[in-house]
Parts: sequence; structure tokens; C-alpha cells
Amino acid sequence: MSVAEEPIGLPDYLPAHLGARREPGPDHEIRLLVAPLAFLRTSRMLRDAGARFVTLLLADTPEPSLMGVFALRGDLVVLRAPIENGSISFGSLGAWWPAARWAERELVERHGARAIGIPPERALTAPDADVLDPRVRGLDVFSLPYGPVRSGIFEAIQFVIETGGEDILRLETRPFFKHRGMEARVVGLRPEQAVHVVERIAGIASVAYACAFSQAVESALGIEVPQRAECWRAMHSELERIASHLDVIAKEAETTALSVGQARFQILKEQTMRLRARITGSRFGRGVVIPGGVRFDGRIETAELLAELDALERDCQRDRRLFLGTASMVDRLFGGGRLERALVEDYSAVGPLARGSGVSTDARHERPYGDYRRLGLRVVTARDGDAMARVNVRFGELTESLRILRQSIDRLATIDGELTVEITGARNGAALGWCEAPQGELVIWVEVRDEVIHRMHVASPSLRNWALFDHAFPKDVLTDFAFIEHSFGLTPAGADR
Amino acid sequence: MSAVFALAIGALALAPLLATRVGRLAALCSATGCVLLVIVGLDGALASAPLSLDLGGWLGFGHSALRADGLAGIFLALTGLTGGAVSLAYAELPPGRWLTALGGVLLLAVAVAIGADNGFLFLLAWETLTVCIYLIASADRARPDELVAGYLTAGLTKVGGAALLAAFGLLYGHTHSFTLEVWSHASLSAGTRGIVFVLFLIAFGTKVGVVPLQGGLPAGYGAAPRLGAASLSVALCAGFYGLWRFEFGVLGPLPVWCGDTLLVLGGITALVGIAYALTQDSLRRFLGYSTIEHAGIVLVGLGVALLGHAAHNPRLAAVGLLAATLHVCAQNLAKTLALIGIDRVEVATGERTEDPLGGLSRVLPLSAFGVGIACLTLAAIPPLGGFVSEWFTFEALLQGFRMPTLLSRLLCALAAAALALTAGLGLLAFVKFYSFMFLGRARRTLAGLREPSGRPLALVALSAVILVLGTVAPWEIHALGSGLRALLGFNAASSVISHPLVLGPVFASFSVLAPTWLALVLPAYALLALLIAVSAGPGKVRRAPVWVTGSGADLSAVQYRPSAYSNPMRVVLRGLLGYRTRLVQTDDDESGPRFVLENGVVLAIDRFVYAPLAGAALHVAACVRSLQSGRLSAYLLYVLIALIGALSLVPILR
Amino acid sequence: MLEWIARGLSKRRVTTRYPAHTEPGPPGYRGSVSVRDAGGAAPELARVCPTGAISVDGGDIRLDRARCILCGDCVRAAPERFAFSERYETAARSRAGLIAGGTNEDEEAEPARRALGEQVRALKRSIHVRHIDCGSDGAEEWEIQALWNPFYDIQRLGFFLTAAPRHADVLLVTGGVTGPMRAPLERTWDVMPEPKALVAVGTEACSGGLAAAGGLVAGGVDQVLGVDVYVPGSPPAPIAIMHGLLLAVGLLREEPSA
Repeated sequence: MSVAEEPIGLPDYLPAHLGARREPGPDHEIRLLVAPLAFLRTSRMLRDAGARFVTLLLADTPEPSLMGVFALRGDLVVLRAPIENGSISFGSLGAWWPAARWAERELVERHGARAIGIPPERALTAPDADVLDPRVRGLDVFSLPYGPVRSGIFEAIQFVIETGGEDILRLETRPFFKHRGMEARVVGLRPEQAVHVVERIAGIASVAYACAFSQAVESALGIEVPQRAECWRAMHSELERIASHLDVIAKEAETTALSVGQARFQILKEQTMRLRARITGSRFGRGVVIPGGVRFDGRIETAELLAELDALERDCQRDRRLFLGTASMVDRLFGGGRLERALVEDYSAVGPLARGSGVSTDARHERPYGDYRRLGLRVVTARDGDAMARVNVRFGELTESLRILRQSIDRLATIDGELTVEITGARNGAALGWCEAPQGELVIWVEVRDEVIHRMHVASPSLRNWALFDHAFPKDVLTDFAFIEHSFGLTPAGADR
Repeated sequence: MSAVFALAIGALALAPLLATRVGRLAALCSATGCVLLVIVGLDGALASAPLSLDLGGWLGFGHSALRADGLAGIFLALTGLTGGAVSLAYAELPPGRWLTALGGVLLLAVAVAIGADNGFLFLLAWETLTVCIYLIASADRARPDELVAGYLTAGLTKVGGAALLAAFGLLYGHTHSFTLEVWSHASLSAGTRGIVFVLFLIAFGTKVGVVPLQGGLPAGYGAAPRLGAASLSVALCAGFYGLWRFEFGVLGPLPVWCGDTLLVLGGITALVGIAYALTQDSLRRFLGYSTIEHAGIVLVGLGVALLGHAAHNPRLAAVGLLAATLHVCAQNLAKTLALIGIDRVEVATGERTEDPLGGLSRVLPLSAFGVGIACLTLAAIPPLGGFVSEWFTFEALLQGFRMPTLLSRLLCALAAAALALTAGLGLLAFVKFYSFMFLGRARRTLAGLREPSGRPLALVALSAVILVLGTVAPWEIHALGSGLRALLGFNAASSVISHPLVLGPVFASFSVLAPTWLALVLPAYALLALLIAVSAGPGKVRRAPVWVTGSGADLSAVQYRPSAYSNPMRVVLRGLLGYRTRLVQTDDDESGPRFVLENGVVLAIDRFVYAPLAGAALHVAACVRSLQSGRLSAYLLYVLIALIGALSLVPILR
Repeated sequence: MLEWIARGLSKRRVTTRYPAHTEPGPPGYRGSVSVRDAGGAAPELARVCPTGAISVDGGDIRLDRARCILCGDCVRAAPERFAFSERYETAARSRAGLIAGGTNEDEEAEPARRALGEQVRALKRSIHVRHIDCGSDGAEEWEIQALWNPFYDIQRLGFFLTAAPRHADVLLVTGGVTGPMRAPLERTWDVMPEPKALVAVGTEACSGGLAAAGGLVAGGVDQVLGVDVYVPGSPPAPIAIMHGLLLAVGLLREEPSA
């Protein structure tokens, strides 16, 4: 009598019930075309279905459209609403989805889009260091601008702290002090030229950016990359992750004045940087990853590389044990900058930050790309959501990265063949490319027309996670600021682009 | 010299009468009286025979006289100095005839109370003082919220008056005389002594602000009109004098627990006073709570003195009493100076709270100087008087090992710890008080602000007195030792001043302090540093804007506000101060939501003592109101009932 | 804590002896691009470079290292004319000193390095360094931070990091100066006392680099303020920055021009 209904996934449900049309797309990309008026409603359904917000952008392929990218289980849902008669107008997502707020403001402020019902907020993309605009009244309250020129050697970003003297009542993060227009810079360049620009969007994540960009181009043009190249890409990525995580840990040690610990982790980081310089000729692994593969094999003997990794792992484990056994260190981190899981999900945060709050999201695991389709990955998470949890996640990932490196070295011995393929065949195309940068999931949208880049949009993990920083001080005081900031481990260059 | 005394009292009595016609002349008249009072006081303190001014028996309660013996001499001189300065301030910044007259009466009452050799005369002066305080505290009808504070002050003073009346009644009952001399030789039982001790403590504690009777002081300071608070500060002299005269002098050697009580109360008072002061934004209330803190320190010194007296150890008594006396002098002079200073600030800026102020030293240099001297003294910074007296108080407490009982020794150690904490917090509090008012950037424009009077004689004279007393402390101690001779039985100064400029705490070779040398050496160091700085560089100075992490933000907006500066202490002392905060979203505008930080300090003592008492008082008042029908017959009935009640008491008393 | 100290002591010395001894880059390191053969080049060669660092003037190649991002496109296109050099020291005290080509290659590096070490000693005081980011890609910050790690330990030469520009002698600027950072940069430089030196770190700071074409950056710090030392590189290695700082020390010894 009753017919057992096939469980129907949202990607199939949406086209059926919303008049959305499924368009063909590469793996892990579910492209849906909706009517402009249905954009808001569909986004809401996606959120209700547990989707994570990734970005909003203006696409030009196949036609001028407003595009929303959402991560839903193992796929990216790309929602596209054509722009009618040139005026970009849509119902505000940010009004009910904090994660969309900054992306939406960028569209409104940069591209003249109109978001109906957008919550009032000060201009995001044109920061003015001089205007404090205090929002809290009270007898004790005063504003403390921190930045754009920070104490120490840090990138330019401004925080306006409103404090009653000790506690942080309200914090406003102001990115975009170093917006260089890198997305527009690649327009008209050939992919192998554009990758130079992409590598310099966020210098400390050059490999991740190059990988995500290259994968987007390859996906757009339907190119299959040689396995050996994919293997090298994974190795460069993991080395980059190791350097970045060590940097965060060294900075945490510095903040708590644990000088020997700081020196130890700086040594490990510098050793990693030097190893990368020996493998690639660049301390940041630049100039290796290109659309179509990698330029060259690592310039290091396998035995030597293994020895270096062994030494790194041994030292790392010892220093980790000492670090976590130092009470003055752990006491400061423990309970500091606690982010509740619900908040992290509201803001669709990614990377070690999200994993520290118990959200198991990792692009390498969710939508395996390149060699990660073949390598196993243990996603390291912690539940506490405090600075300690974020540091612990990084420690766990260090071990995991070293394991992946060894696995890759073994695999490398078994694969022969080319490192690059020619970019031939299709001249046009558009696709997303993604990669788990040290800061979190990085997604790049690339449109290629006539063999040159026509449009690029970067959804950087730094920008998405920074929106959460305003809420990272629930019970913390001014002196906690530095190590909570370091525990985020983000880069303004990536956020500002 | 008696003639001078008569002249002084005469001038003080003339001043209020003149005030109704020419306010400025009246102020000058009472200033003259005060100067004469200083002369009389010094003579009384230093001379061997007490000076006396016979008033005859016209009061009807026995023979009475005004006399300036050693102790009275010290306090008369102190009253003269502070009162003179306040009177001069009245002449410079006339606050109105009514207040000038009140200030004059208050001065006269204080002088008479200190001079009185007769309990009834003292009571008369004391009640006059009480009425003056009430009238001053509630004179500012323009501030209805402060009016309640005036009532609180009056109510507490009334409680003190009642306690004084009861104590005097008990003493009279035992001696059938109102003469203080007779009282001091009365043989009282230990129990009676204890009761009278407590009654006197309540009576004078309300005046000088001993916890938990401190409420009237900050409230009264806050409520008083311009210069009223300075006058109230002069009235403190009478309160401290009462403690000296009656607790130490009249009651003689008290039981040990009395001294212990003073140590405990003193320690608590000092800590509570400074902790509460830290939370205040009102300049006057801050100084009020600071007075309470200093009263606590004085009480601790007095406690040591009482314990020494109880143990029949005159040296121990001397070290405590000397410390306390020194502290009363330093604190009263400095507090009066500070109050005059902030009244000048109020006249110039119209502000009574600290938050809107800043950078005033550039436009009010003289006030900044005066208040600076006062703050250095009150925060016990060497080489000024406050440091010398706090040093003596600590030294007195360090004599704890000489105490008669173990408990007293323990309490001495605890009091010393409390005092150390108080001193630390006091430094913080006065840094906040002074720097946010006079230093830094102005939160509002300073244009058009200027000193309220061109020749601030009161400020300068009092500053000079404080500086001189701080630097020639040995001389001051010489006078005090001589004045306290009658109470202690020996001249403490001779054992304190071992070497012309070197001081020690009565017990020889315990420790030494040379404030005069400090006064010479410390400025010399500063001068030396300046000389080195001048000689080293060519002195080419390029002025660059203040660095705010690269932001060009308005500097007055990014600097700490006074309350924010003390916020960490409020957080640490959260429990004691009842500190709570709440961030409330109020409204939105085009660049986001707005919030209000609601934070408040509900002082534990207000919450658990004053609020229930006030509630009870209001309740009683409501009950009484129902009796007041307004009908003549009802009132006649009440009179009848009262008469019958009184008559029925006669056989019982017989 | 004791264990930390024991751990620190148990390791051998890792600190470089630069500038007393030379410090070469690892084999294959892309430190700078040098011109092997400058003569007789075709004008089209200039189009190889994404930042326009190469110009061909009458057949002579000139390479502006201030613009070079070390991408290697030229080395791959014309290996007979361009080559990567492993040398770290790339800093120069003027833009003209960064022009490679012709004959002035690699000659004065060795004596200059020793002289620089002497200069620091002759200054007889420590040097306080302040950094400002005006739109870098973030990698330069890592390399500057590395100067204070045990490998480079620039404190042994008397360089200290300061948070307050009022105490600073040298200002390290990274990035090609974006619009919002222009005023903060000028303010920072303004409050520094004389004598002072400005060091532009990285190709972006020297010329704007790749971002210059976008129009959102000023195209080098020297478009805003006078630069005393240029340290090109994308990013320059820590030793290169150290070299630049040592060059700046020489300026501090000279009397400030009125």
C-alpha cells in the first residue's frame, strides 16, 4: 500500500519545489538557477537545512548574476539569480544570517548592489582610522583605538575597543585597511600569470591560494592534473600549514612571556621555512603551484626530507609536552576568548577556529580535492571553544600534517610521469576551487574567457572568521586581547585582498 | 594673653552679626579672629600655665570658663589655621551673606567647644555646631537630590548629640558637676566607663566619620553649597578634640577592650573610606570618603594610645597619641585646602564631578598647585606632613609587641596591614583625583576659564602652612609634645626628637626619620636631574602630535576617564562595593546599534545599614503622621497625656 | 621552567654570524634575478615581466629589482640572459642602485658587508626599530619577525623593536601604501625623532609590485615619503632585511640634514 519514499536530498528537493533549475557543474558543485525573488527564500531554506554560508558574489558567466555559495554537507551549493536590467537588488541575508553580513556589505559598498532590509552598520570597506564612533554610553566608557599601526610587527587592521577600564564592553574589528584590489588585478591575465598575483593575496598562505586558484581554473576548463603534481601540492600545503601553526604557537608563547618556549617554536618554524626554501627555492613555496600542475619536483633527496621531518616531529612533540605542562602558559589560554558552538555556526566560521569550538569542518575532508582524495585525514577538533582549544587543534594538526607528508613521500616514490599538463581544450569556463588554508577553508571563484581570467572572487577564511572576533571577548579583559587575537591566527592581507 | 583670647572670641562672635550687612567684612573679621586664635592656641600649647577666660556662672549650670590648656591649645591653633583659610576664602569667593553668617557661627561654636571647661558649655556649643552643620548641608535648595543628603547628615549628627547628652547625663549623675576637671577625677566603675566610652564614640564618631556612622560626612560634603564643605571640614576639629578630651583625658585609663575596639574600627574605617572614595565621581564626596579614611588612621593611632594608657605605659600612649595628633593636623589642613581648591574649580568651571574635567592646570595653575600640595599630603607622599604622620602611625603599630594582651598585639598587626593597603589604595585614589582634573587633555574647551579670584590668599597661605609644617616637622612635634604634656604626664617631644632634625617614635633607637632632610634632598634630586637634562642636550625640541597607534582620533576621546581608571579596583573589590554592570542595547542609527553601560556601586553599608534604617525611619514617620490630625483638641489631648506621663515618672525617680 | 631552560641550553648554536661572516642562501634559492647578458636583446623581452621590471633600451637590458617579484618568468623565457642568484643581499640606498644590467653586478658586496658590521659598532648605541604595514601581503611581516628569532637574533647587533615611534630610529615599511594607510604612515614618520631612517621592505614597498597596476596602492613608499634604504624581494629573506637595516645604520651616523 504505502510506497517507501526515497529520501530526497535538498539539492533535488530545491529544484522540485522552488522552481530552481539545476545546471550542470563540476564535482561537488551543485549549481541552481533561481528567480531573483526566490534567492532570499532559497538561502533561508539552505540555512535551515544546515548549510554553511561561504560567500556572495557577482558572477558574469554564463550571464550577469548574483551568486551565493553555501557549503551543504559534502557539496557546495551555488545559487545563482540572474540580474535583471542591470540593477542588483536582493533581500538582505545579513539581516538574519550574521555570516552573510560582511560579504553582503562588500557587494553593497563596492558594487552598488541594493540589499533590502540590510541591518545598519558603518561602512566596512572604506575604513577611516580617525573616526572612533563610540557606541556605548556610560560613565566609565571610553574608546581605545588599537591600530591600524599595531605594536609589534603585525599587519594593518584596526580594532576599536570600548572599555570601562578593564573589561571589553564592545569591540569593533575594522578590516580593509590594506585592500589592494587583487581580485581585479588578475582580470585579463593568463592563468599562469595570474597565479603570481594570487600567491600574493595572502603571503603566508601562498600555496593554499595558488592551489585553490589553480583548481578553480582546472575545474573550469576541465583539466585533469597529473597525480605527481597533486602529491606535491599536498606536500607544499602541509608544510605551509606546519609553518603557520608553529607561528601561532610561538606568538602565544611570546604573549605570555614564555621566552624559551617562544624561541623553541620560532626555531621550529624557521627550520620549516628553510626546508621549504630548499624544496622550492622560496621560503613561502611560491612559484611552484601553477594551473595545470606544479613547475618542478622538490629539489631535495627523499632521505634528507624524511630526516628533516623526523627531527621536526621529535622536537615538536617534546616542545609541545613542555608547552602544555607550563602552568603560566596554559592558565592564560584556558577559558580565554570562549566561542560557543552556536555562535561559530551562526557566523559560518571555518578552520582551526571552528574546529576548536567543536565544528568539524575541513575542506580536505568535506570535499576532498587533489591528493586528499587518496590520503586519509583525521579532522582534529576540540570542544571547549577557548584559546586553549584552538591551540590544541593546531598542535593536533601539526602531527596530522607530518603524517600526511610521510604518506605523500611514500606515494611519490610510486608515481611517475608528468608534473604539468598543457592548458588546452576549452577556452572558456567558470568554476569554484577550494583548499583548506592554514586559516581555514578558502574558496575561489574563477571565470575564464578566451584563455584569460575574466573574473575572480576570493572567499577568504580570514575575512569570514574575523567577523567573529567582535564576539570573542565575552568575559575577557584588555590584557587578554593579544593571545585571543593570536589564537585566531588570521591574516589581514587575506581578508582585505 | 587672656585679652587676645577675648579679642579672638569677640571677633568670631562679631563676624556673624556683620555678615548680615557686609559679607566680605564679616569674613575678614572672622579671619582676624582665627589668626588671634592661632596665637592663643600656640601660647596654650607651649606655655606651662593654661590660659583662661572666666565666663562666670551665668549659664546656670555651675561656673564656666573658656580656657586654652595644652590640648585645647593644639586644637584651637588647628581651628584657627583652617578656619582662617576658610574665612579668607569666604572673602575671596563670597558665597552669600547667609552662608557667611553660618560659617562664622560654626567657627565660633568650634572655638567655644574646644575652649569650654564645662560640660554644659560644651554641649551648648556642640548643639549650635549641629544646627550649623544641618543648615549648611541643606542650604543648597537648588539641588533637591542633595537635600536628602542634608537630612541624613543632620539626622546622624542628631544621633551623636543624643549620645553626648546621655554620656554627660551619666557623668553628671556620678559627679553632680558639669566641670570637666571634676569629671576627669571621678571614680567610675569599669562598666560605666565602658558605656560612657561607647556613647562618646558614637557622639564624636558621627562627626569625624567612623564606620558605620560615616554616612553624614560624604553626604554633607556633597550637599553643601560653595565653601560649605570647607566649613564642615573645620568642624571636624571639634570632633577630634572631643575624642582626645573625653576618651583619653576625661575617662582616663580605659579597659583594654576599648583600645581594641578603636583598632578594629579604625582599620575598617580606613579601608572602607578609601575603597568607597575610589568609586566616587563627585569631587566633594570623594574628599568626604577620604576624610573617613583618615579618620580611620587617626582612630588606629588613638587606639594604640588608649592601649598604652590602659597598660600604664606612658611612652606607648605617647607614641599613639602623637601619631594621631600629627595625623589630625596634617589631614585637616590638607583636606580644608583641597576643599577650597575644588570650590575654586567649581566656581571656574561649574562642575562638581570629575568626569567632564581635565587639563585644568593650564588655566587654573594656582588651584592646581594648592590641590596638588593637599593631595600629596593626603596620599602620604614624603616629605609632606601626611607622610610623617602616617609613618608615626605605622611606627606606633609596630610597637604592638609592647601591648598588654595577645589580642591587642594581633590587632596591631592586622591594623598595620589594613593601613598598608589603605595607603596603597589612597595613592591610587589621589592619583585619579588629581590627574584627571588637572592633567591630561580637556574633555571640553578650556577657553574662557580662569582663576576665580586674582589673589587666592587662602589657598596660598594654607599651602605655605602645610609645606612649612611638613618640612619643619620637628618643630611641630615640639609644640604637640608640649601641648600633650598634661595628658601624657611627660613631654613626648623630648624623646621623639633625638637630634635637632631627626625624629624617632618615642622609644629611642627604634627607627628614625628626618623629614627636613627629605624635604631638602628630594627636591635637590629633581633639580639635579633637571640640571643634567639641561646640560646634556642642546634642548632642541620638536613637538609632534600624540601617537594613537596611527589613528588620528580625538585625543580627549581616547584617554582614560577617571572612573575607568579606578575600574580595575572596583572589579577587584566587587563584593565590598556591591559593584554591578549591565550592557543594554538602546537604539539603532545608520551605523549600528547603540548601548548604555549601566553600572552602579551599591555600597554594602548603605545597603545593609542605612537603607533599612531609612526605611524604618520613614515607616515611623508615616505612623506619626497619622497622629497629626491638625485638630487643636487632639494636640491638647497629646499635651495632657505627656504631662500625666511626666508626672507619673516623678514618684518612680524618687 | 627548568626543563625549558635545559632544553634551550642542550641545543647547539643556530644563530647566524652575519655580517661578520657571509651567509649564502640555500642551493636553488631565488634571492634575486641577475642579468647574464645585457646586450643585443629584442624589445619583446620586456613584455615577459608581469611588473614591467625589464626594459630594453636600444638592445640593452635593464632590470629594475625594485619591481622584480622573483616570479622567474624571465628566467624561464630567456635562460641565457637571466638567472636566479642565491645571494641574500639585495638592499640599496637608492632606486638607481637597484637597476641591474650592464656591468655593475656583484662587485661591492663583500667589502660592504664587513664595513657594515663596523658601522654598528661605531654607533655605540642601540637602534630601535618600528614597523608599519601599509598593504603588504603578510609575508614580509613574517620575515621581519624572524629577525628576532634565535636564527638571526638581530638584538646581538643592537637592534631592538619598539612599539612607540617616538623612540624609534628606523621605520620599516612594508606594502605599497594603500589609501587608508597613507595618513597613518605619514603620522608615524612625523612623530619619529631625528636622526631617522626609512627602510622600504619588499618589492611592494619599493615599487608597489603587482598591486601597483590596480591603482589602489600608491606604487611604493617613495611616492609618499623619502625612502632611505630599499630592500626588494617578494618577500626579502631575513638576511636581506638585516642587510637593509645595517645600511640604514650608516645614515643614522650622519648628521641629519637641517
